Amino acid sequence: MGFSPFPFSQAPLPISFNHSLVLVVDADSSSFYRIAMASTSGEVQQKGKEQVGQDKEQSARTSDKITKPKRKWYPADDEPRKRVHRKKVQKPTKLRASITPGTVLILLSGRFRGRRVIFLKQLASGLLLVTGPYSLNGVPMRRVNQRYVIATRTKVDIQSVEIPAVDDDWFKKNKKKPKTEEMTDTGKTKLPETFIKAQQSLDSQLVPLVKEVPFLKSYLCSRFSLSYGQFPHEMRF
Amino acid sequence: MKAWLHQYSVVGRKIPTQEEPEPPIYRLKIFAPNVVNAKSRFWYFLRKLKRVKKSSGEILNISEIFEKKSTQVKNYGIWIRYKSRSDTINMYREYRDVTVNGAVEQMYKDMSGRHRARWSSIWVLKAMPVAAKDCRRSKVTQFHDSKIKFALPHMRPRAPLKKYNTPFKAKRPTTIVQ
Amino acid sequence: MVFKRFVEVGRVVLVTYGEHRGKLGVIVDVVDQNRVLVDGPQTGLPRHTINFKSLALTPFQVKIQHGSRTGVVRKALEEKKLMEQWKSTLWYKKLCSRENRRKLGDFERFKLMIAKKKKAAMVNGQVKKLKSHS
Repeated sequence: MGFSPFPFSQAPLPISFNHSLVLVVDADSSSFYRIAMASTSGEVQQKGKEQVGQDKEQSARTSDKITKPKRKWYPADDEPRKRVHRKKVQKPTKLRASITPGTVLILLSGRFRGRRVIFLKQLASGLLLVTGPYSLNGVPMRRVNQRYVIATRTKVDIQSVEIPAVDDDWFKKNKKKPKTEEMTDTGKTKLPETFIKAQQSLDSQLVPLVKEVPFLKSYLCSRFSLSYGQFPHEMRF
Repeated sequence: MKAWLHQYSVVGRKIPTQEEPEPPIYRLKIFAPNVVNAKSRFWYFLRKLKRVKKSSGEILNISEIFEKKSTQVKNYGIWIRYKSRSDTINMYREYRDVTVNGAVEQMYKDMSGRHRARWSSIWVLKAMPVAAKDCRRSKVTQFHDSKIKFALPHMRPRAPLKKYNTPFKAKRPTTIVQ
Repeated sequence: MVFKRFVEVGRVVLVTYGEHRGKLGVIVDVVDQNRVLVDGPQTGLPRHTINFKSLALTPFQVKIQHGSRTGVVRKALEEKKLMEQWKSTLWYKKLCSRENRRKLGDFERFKLMIAKKKKAAMVNGQVKKLKSHS
């Protein structure tokens, strides 16, 4: 113990002292040091007192405590730590509770924003498969993220509808398609026959169901919009 | 409305010494927004009144005093001493409220409005309910009528929630309600 | 006299502002020129002081003494069947319809819009007819 003659940066390496010292440097003046005893010194003193009046049996127990290795200093440099590599596992997207097959949704972004559509099912990628139906409001089978959708309370009973076996691959664009002359003629790629047929069969089942409910057809055909004084966060859907 | 002030009973004394093993114990009822402030006020008053400082004293107990009947309208008399710009003045004021805390709150607001008196320049000496027959101020006695009846000649229609408040209106509001 | 509704003990009031808005209560005592003590045991309005600014006076009144306790107030209200009286007023119905309008879903709003259009077309048609006759 005592006043350290060394500036902090040149202080001797902490070799085993009876009482470990902690140097506290004043932030304002580097020439001023305060020396404080670390908590170990107090412990040692206490243990000394204990040992004086203790039996042999008990001293065995206390000696255990004393021989416990103690960390006296921290390494000056940072030790490189092993990084644990975790594999990213994508959890399946949780479908919002308000969205069930047959729910009427309002699309909020993209080409069909404002359109009311019918939700068919959730695909493996977590996206929602929806359709207008196409013959009513022009929205074909499409994938949308549920973030870009308002779910309404209106539901169409589509239990009897046979939903075509559509998966995410249907909607992948074939980028490697060679540019043929046909394309340059029309300027558009043609939809595969299977898609058109699936859409047609779906529409033929959905439209009669929609027509059963009064006003539902014109509701689906109309677009959603906000007028003056309407705040979506205060409205119910 | 959330109460701004609470009433605390603070008990304290000088720390006992060999010369004075049993120093007198003091209890003050203090109106303050919280416990910390109440303790601070306690030492402020004890320092002024009894030459006991926080450094040589201790607080024995602090507890809040609650209104017994906060669903009954009462008349409260409040005796205060306040430092005006030129003098120190003793005052007696009366308010109607359901709690003492509310009455003292009213007093602080009233004093700041009428006399520009700050919180720090007012000492509440005594605050207690006063019987109707002992009330002196006409502002209070005018409500001592079991069949009191008056109209509200000017009522501004209010938005049901604060967020619906608008600075400008398209239509001039109707302020007369029957 | 011009005024018909007064601040007085026994006057039934509607709270129009704050957390208790929409609740009916009775003035039990007058605190001062700004505040009254109200109690509404039937509507869950706690007995507390309230500023006139957040009240609306209704045409109803019950007979109670100033400072009456909650039980007495409840009895007086029940005797007069005040809640039934209140529910038959246009005022209450207006509040209800406003609340119902707020609760409408998207499809219902659409149907309402169509109904309104229909009504407007009928009215306008009649107006046109009458105009052409005159």
